[in-house]
Amino acid sequence: MSLALDLFSIAAISAGVFFFLAGTVGLLRFPDALSRLHALTKADNLGLGLIVLGLLPRAESLLAALMLVAIWALVQLAGATAAQLIGRAVRRKGPAI
Amino acid sequence: MSAPTGDAPRGLKQATAARATLFLAFWLMISGWAPADLPVGLAAVAGATWTSLRLLPPGGSRVRIGSLASLVASFLRQSIVSGTDVARRALNPRLQLRPGFVTCPLRLPPGGERSAFCALSSLMPGTLPTGTDEHGALLVHCLDIGQPVAANLAAEERLFIRAVGGE
Repeated sequence: MSLALDLFSIAAISAGVFFFLAGTVGLLRFPDALSRLHALTKADNLGLGLIVLGLLPRAESLLAALMLVAIWALVQLAGATAAQLIGRAVRRKGPAI
Repeated sequence: MSAPTGDAPRGLKQATAARATLFLAFWLMISGWAPADLPVGLAAVAGATWTSLRLLPPGGSRVRIGSLASLVASFLRQSIVSGTDVARRALNPRLQLRPGFVTCPLRLPPGGERSAFCALSSLMPGTLPTGTDEHGALLVHCLDIGQPVAANLAAEERLFIRAVGGE
């Protein structure tokens, strides 16, 4: 049972790391500011979700597990809001660089 | 989240108490129980309650649990699809992108519900709302304007309106 949970954690966290890497590659390769925002918000949010999912079975208590989920939700909320604000600013004024 | 309608001031009092309790529970969950930290927590709870009552007055909308569950399920599915889509495009050696703007008329009027929907849709595959044009339509930036962006967004808006009790 604990081996299965360990394997689950390893698989989920590895997948999460993969999506963080892919998001960073997108940040470097995508041609303009708005496309880069897509890479950051979407790939990194999925990466964080998978890392949280992988850490959940390892949480010491229910409270720690709830905290992990709360962190994920707060980052989602902050990411979604900030991406829109930056997107709107870029569309109106053009990219800073 | 809506308080029962009826006596308006009583509804407001109930909503305030319910929301403050919820925010306090959330604070305690995040920071743990420590008397020295409590003043900061209480200040944060007061600020959060005031903001929530300002932005989402009690009794405004009736959230339906069943529809909300299907919205959350759709959101989780879309997160996986959109993350995979971005990862595939980023790692593709030929970088297949056709970025551009698509105008999507929305049925939701401007306000809190519309903002919530825009936040949700910024996490959907290939779309990023960047504000509205002069007619109130949403200007959505897409990674690939060949995708049926407007149709997908309209379908998601229907789900959202149902979840917040619009129809």
